Amino acid sequence: MEGIIEYLESIKFVHLFMSPTIIWQSLPLLWKGFQAAAALLIVGYLLSLPAGLTAAFMKMSRNPIVRIPATFYIDFIRGTPLLVQILVIYFGFPLLMPGWREFATGPIGQISVAGIDMSQFVRAIAALVINSGAYLAEIFRAGIQSISKGQLEAARSLGMTTMQAMTYVIIPQTVRRILPTMMSEFILLFKDTALFFAVGIFELTLQARTIQARTFNMSPYIGAAGFYLMLTLPLGRLVAYLEAKLAVSETGREPENRQERKRRKAARAKEASA
Amino acid sequence: MTEQAMVRIEDLHKSFGALEVLKGVDLEVARGEVVVILGPSGSGKSTMLRCVNRLEEPTSGRIFIENDEVTDHKTNINHIRARVGMVFQSFNLFPHLTAKSNVMLALRKVKKISKEEAEQIALEGLARVGLDDKADVYPIMLSGGQQQRVAIARALAMDPHVMLFDEVTSALDPELVREVLDVMKGLAKGGMTMLVVTHEMGFARDVASRAVFMDEGVIQEQGTPEEVFDNPQNERTKDFLGHIR
Ligand SMILES: Nc1ncnc2c1ncn2[C@@H]1O[C@H](COP(=O)(O)OP(=O)(O)O)[C@@H](O)[C@H]1O
Ligand SMILES: [Mg+2]
Repeated sequence: MEGIIEYLESIKFVHLFMSPTIIWQSLPLLWKGFQAAAALLIVGYLLSLPAGLTAAFMKMSRNPIVRIPATFYIDFIRGTPLLVQILVIYFGFPLLMPGWREFATGPIGQISVAGIDMSQFVRAIAALVINSGAYLAEIFRAGIQSISKGQLEAARSLGMTTMQAMTYVIIPQTVRRILPTMMSEFILLFKDTALFFAVGIFELTLQARTIQARTFNMSPYIGAAGFYLMLTLPLGRLVAYLEAKLAVSETGREPENRQERKRRKAARAKEASA
Repeated sequence: MTEQAMVRIEDLHKSFGALEVLKGVDLEVARGEVVVILGPSGSGKSTMLRCVNRLEEPTSGRIFIENDEVTDHKTNINHIRARVGMVFQSFNLFPHLTAKSNVMLALRKVKKISKEEAEQIALEGLARVGLDDKADVYPIMLSGGQQQRVAIARALAMDPHVMLFDEVTSALDPELVREVLDVMKGLAKGGMTMLVVTHEMGFARDVASRAVFMDEGVIQEQGTPEEVFDNPQNERTKDFLGHIR
């Protein structure tokens, strides 16, 4: 084992980019960074859901006073880089909030959330929610509008209020249909947390950058990449699985290849028994 | 005053933007009457039917269901809709719910009936349209005819006083039309008040008390099915009947 590691370290490229020793030594800090990124992701995403739903309904409103601000918000956010949004929100937040300094330096501001100070955490979450809310709003809107008008009419003709029709008929169908897209947004958001390195939040990427600066070695980044993949790969598979399942429930048929495989298997079994 | 009408439509107008679709429709339907409405595509049949439960907002005119004015914005439209069943050309079953749950949903949420009772009503309703064995099946696994029968059961479960049918067999394969018409005939013979947009002449002759011919947004002619089909007076009616026969 030691021999193998020694051999690997002796190859220059491997040592610079994939040094087992340095990656191993980075693991504790990378793990901390992963926890910070995951905390940002989970809190940010959960709060983005109601934000996105609200923006979606606002954008579908017939009342322009409600619709126009939502449209403007969604277009603005989707049309500008997240990094710019993070810088504006992260450094703009304190200017806008009265009593920010007292909060940030006070006991609550110093509470650590997965290794991030609360005063940093809330600003990061604000940026994530504002950003992801706009993308989710479009996902929700497109999903709701993809449900045929007849569904709402059938529900209404039975005496349901619009609210009831949304809750029991439209939203459940929408969620099933957009679940894969919603999960893709979750994956995207996770990768987006890397941008917080620019404002000094010790998430995964900044942890890796700090070690890299100390060791003059790229391997910590590869280690960080491994941590990102730990979440994105299985979730990506899950998205693909859900998409296939959705295709079945929408068409009532299994995708061709699976059907084909089953038929062939059945034929083979028949042959064998004959 | 004689017996109060089940549905009364007075001088109904409806425009979509600049397009005037209904140009003054008057129609009175007595309790237990089965009125068949026919006319060329685009003549406003669906729009009229949809105004009755205010899926479309009338531009002007008044509509009454029993004592309640549908067109009065002070009336709670959801209470009226619970008394007016509607069946659509495209079934519109809720695809995420089983046949039984489709029937139960409005019973539970609109009528606030207990789960056990709603389930019993749903099973009885499905049995009435011959589908009690499909209670736990999702719509996608049902044929068009079966889906439409579930849709009828769903509307009937609310115990409506009047039923609206909008070309409910038009989307069905020919061999599935009959099973749906049979259910509707049973309903008609049971005394249900019905407004039926259809071109099924056989159905009309069999159970309709009246046939109404619509064209250009007004009622052109009406009478018993025999009068309208066998001896039409209006030129448009003659022309139309010539085309569909
Ligand atoms: N929501 C709507 N917006 C605009 N035009 C409509 C709408 N619904 C129906 N129309 C128009 O109104 C006319 C009558 O339609 P409809 O009542 O569906 O006729 P029918 O059921 O007799 O075929 C058609 O020209 C149709 O295009
Ligand atoms: Mg129509």
